[in-house]
Amino acid sequence: MAIAVKLDDMLHDRRMTLTELADRIGITLANLSILKTGKARAIRFSTLDAICTALGCQPGDILRFEPGQEEI
Amino acid sequence: MSRPASSSAALPIAYVVLRILIVLNWVMSAAILALLVVSPNEQWIMAAFKLSPSPETERLVMGMRVIAVLGLAAIPLHYAALKRLLAIVKTVRVGDPFVAANASRLQAIAWVLFALQLLSLVIGAIAKAVSTPAHPLNLDAGFSINGWLAVLLTFVLARVFAEGALMREDLERTV
Repeated sequence: MAIAVKLDDMLHDRRMTLTELADRIGITLANLSILKTGKARAIRFSTLDAICTALGCQPGDILRFEPGQEEI
Repeated sequence: MSRPASSSAALPIAYVVLRILIVLNWVMSAAILALLVVSPNEQWIMAAFKLSPSPETERLVMGMRVIAVLGLAAIPLHYAALKRLLAIVKTVRVGDPFVAANASRLQAIAWVLFALQLLSLVIGAIAKAVSTPAHPLNLDAGFSINGWLAVLLTFVLARVFAEGALMREDLERTV
């Protein structure tokens, strides 16, 4: 999929770990890892809402469209 | 996840019943084989059914032999369906029924049911052809609207499971 998840950069900027983010938004670390590694097939608006609230960012800050980055 | 109370009892019962049916299917195959072994002894057959030798009764005995052979052909078909149904019940018991494998199993069961219905039509036709007013051969075979509905239902159910498996896969990778 050409949609890339830039969660790592945002977490680094905010000095937050994935575990902390998972705790704050109330989803499992396993699910958040699926999102971070780009293995997710879909993301709920509620999850996006929670992530943007916790990180104080816009959806566009964590999701990018990168043509040519097709998933195998 | 909470489950309805009835399902907790229904599944073990279904599992045991299917196991018993698989054994009965093999018993049935042994019985049909035994019948085929003794059936060349025409005198024994005639005596058992109180038939007097005539071209009509010989045709009747021959028809019964052919039906026995067809009955034997149904044994592996029954086994194929029961084995797959048992596998489906196992996946339901572990709480993971919406998988692509179950869709393929249901599809296979549907084809088996289709073949069994065709076999039933042939057996019914043979029984009708060799029956005489004096010696009617009444078998529970032939066209059955319920049987064909079961075939249709199983094909539809296989598609439902295939769609369900896809939706489940999507849901699993939804964050």
